Amino acid sequence: MQLVNRGEGRLFLSPLVIFLLLFLGFPAIVNLVYSISTVTFETLRAPELSGYGNYLDVLSDRYFWQASWFSLRFGIITALAECLIGLFLAIFLNPLLGKRPYLMAPLMLPLMVAPAMVGLMYRLVLHEFAGPVPYYLWMWFGDSPAFLDADNAFRTLVVIETLQWTPFAFLLFHTAYSAIPSDVREAAALDGARGWTLLTKIELPLIKPTLIIAFFIRFIDGFRVFDNIYALTGAGAGGSTTSLSIYIYQAFFKQGAIGKAVAASVVLFIASLVVLYALTALGSRRKEKTR
Amino acid sequence: MIKKTTIVAFAGLLAGTALPGIANATVTVLGWPGGSEEAALRAATDVYNETAREDDKVELIFFSRDGFFDKLQADLAAGSDAFDINLIATYSIGRYAPYMEPIDLGDDAETVFGKAVLETMQYEGRQYGVPTDLSLHFMYYRTDLLDALLGDEDARAEYSKIAEEYLGKPMAPKPADEWTWDDWAATALYFTKSINRASPVRYGTVLQMKNLLFNMMVFQSLPRSDGADWRDAEGNITIDSEGYRKGLALYKTLYDAGATPKDSLSYEYAETNAAFAAGQVATALQWNAAAGELTDPEKTPAVAEVTGVVAPPAGPNGRADHIHGLGLGLNKNAKNKEGALRFLQWLATEDAALLYAENGGSPALMPDVVAKIADDRPDLVDLGNFASRYGYVMDGGTSANALSIYEVQAREFTGYWSGQQSLDEALANTEAEMRDLLNP
Repeated sequence: MQLVNRGEGRLFLSPLVIFLLLFLGFPAIVNLVYSISTVTFETLRAPELSGYGNYLDVLSDRYFWQASWFSLRFGIITALAECLIGLFLAIFLNPLLGKRPYLMAPLMLPLMVAPAMVGLMYRLVLHEFAGPVPYYLWMWFGDSPAFLDADNAFRTLVVIETLQWTPFAFLLFHTAYSAIPSDVREAAALDGARGWTLLTKIELPLIKPTLIIAFFIRFIDGFRVFDNIYALTGAGAGGSTTSLSIYIYQAFFKQGAIGKAVAASVVLFIASLVVLYALTALGSRRKEKTR
Repeated sequence: MIKKTTIVAFAGLLAGTALPGIANATVTVLGWPGGSEEAALRAATDVYNETAREDDKVELIFFSRDGFFDKLQADLAAGSDAFDINLIATYSIGRYAPYMEPIDLGDDAETVFGKAVLETMQYEGRQYGVPTDLSLHFMYYRTDLLDALLGDEDARAEYSKIAEEYLGKPMAPKPADEWTWDDWAATALYFTKSINRASPVRYGTVLQMKNLLFNMMVFQSLPRSDGADWRDAEGNITIDSEGYRKGLALYKTLYDAGATPKDSLSYEYAETNAAFAAGQVATALQWNAAAGELTDPEKTPAVAEVTGVVAPPAGPNGRADHIHGLGLGLNKNAKNKEGALRFLQWLATEDAALLYAENGGSPALMPDVVAKIADDRPDLVDLGNFASRYGYVMDGGTSANALSIYEVQAREFTGYWSGQQSLDEALANTEAEMRDLLNP
């Protein structure tokens, strides 16, 4: 049954369309104009069109590719680590949390801390002379690794990001894992599925959509990381811990290269769209196969 | 009844819109956050507010230190009136002058600060700020360690051996105020535990090597004392010079030898202070602002009594000490310009400058003025001496893109120090970007 005619449908949709045009469309158009303009803080309202030079600047800048590689590696590694640890904890702690749900609150605490604060906190915690971690390592072993030198900075940042955001993945997985109907497990048990078989053949396939969603949310967050890295290492020695967000921030504010910064963000946006469409296409093909 | 309710509601609405107006009648100051400058400004403001008119009371706001100048530029360019007075620095006056109002500090200001110091806040001949803090660098060192080294024949022999091994020539230890950069480097290597097991401290020095523009300011005096500059008389970029090459290589030698903590690649002001204050470091080239803390027995009990201060070491061209001024100026879009100007003029008086200094600030004061607090703030006497004898600004260091140039140097030089690129690559990349930034 058709609930509304086409005219009413358009009427109901119009607020959303206006909202999107105003709050997404307008800035997008302005950014596209800036990306092909020579523009400074003084000429923000009257940029001079200058062609595609900003895009060429971005694509020929080795620091752009260095930042892209950093963001990609950081996003994938942290998302994988967070999801694996979160999944393990969700399954391992499920019986305990079923009986004592109030234990969830302390497990979620890292999510409550602002990323910039996490960066500042670890600047203190890891400082060789002021921080407790190096202090005890020196006391017990007579030495401490340099957590933020050029060799270790990436690993340290991955661990810090994972410590902060694993609770998010854990929360999603715990909710999905707890929602598996008990009769499914009972039926599987009657068919002889237990332990590893039950987990890999029954439970994980059932929570697979949550696993995929959690991975992509965490990948996107990791890919666009800014606050904690900036507070901890700046942009890193030689730009070694510069994420794409930091690259765009530096181009915009520190170099005053507004056109170049916006062009970089447009390139990033197009790359994200390509990935998104590829994933959508992949998902559609799988659906067709399973029909 | 309805009418009465409506009137009350309308009055409430009016009151609600009027209240912010009353609040805005005060003077809002955006200061430099997180250091002695903030503490001094807070103390001075408290005193000013005790006697100021109600609509002249001063409120302070602070951003975080990270990216301060970028956020300030965005706010000023957007025409923000969220603050009446904002921070200004020698290296950013050209960048911010279009959004600021020139000010008249009165004739007495020159008797307090002197002409040269007032000029650090001038752009195109007009005064844009009150010079609240002059910044340069001191060489901090442990007097107890150096005295022991100088008085021990075996230690002197070991020192000479280490200097020959790492710096290629045998050397004899000297008092700190006679140091060349090589003497400092040899001392730093001698007091590094991984090189000399007898060293009572873990590291010989602590370098600020984070990819941060302020750290580049600390570094500049090393190549400068060897005659290096950013440009020559014809405007050519001269960063690829003997002075820069030797200076950059000396930092790398010390870093690679373990004379500074490996984490130094993430160190800035606070981390350097913490390292020296912990009593595990023999020397530190650090901002003068740290003197109050490092020589205060209450704040730094481990080393305050044995912390010496001298000017940065000498190079072939003598000593050089990088200077720049911080100050406060008037936002063109200020809501309360008259009140703001009254506060700025008060800050430029002798009483206010001394009050500011007594509370940890670092104003560069005329000799007869600084003499009044020389007992409490001997570092301010050094500040004036070093600034007048060794102070310098690089050619191009006051250009609109000066801060961006430091940013480029920070990225390229830290890339070399951390081993990600060669010295030739670092200098070539820096030169290419400086050419665009200095000669757009």
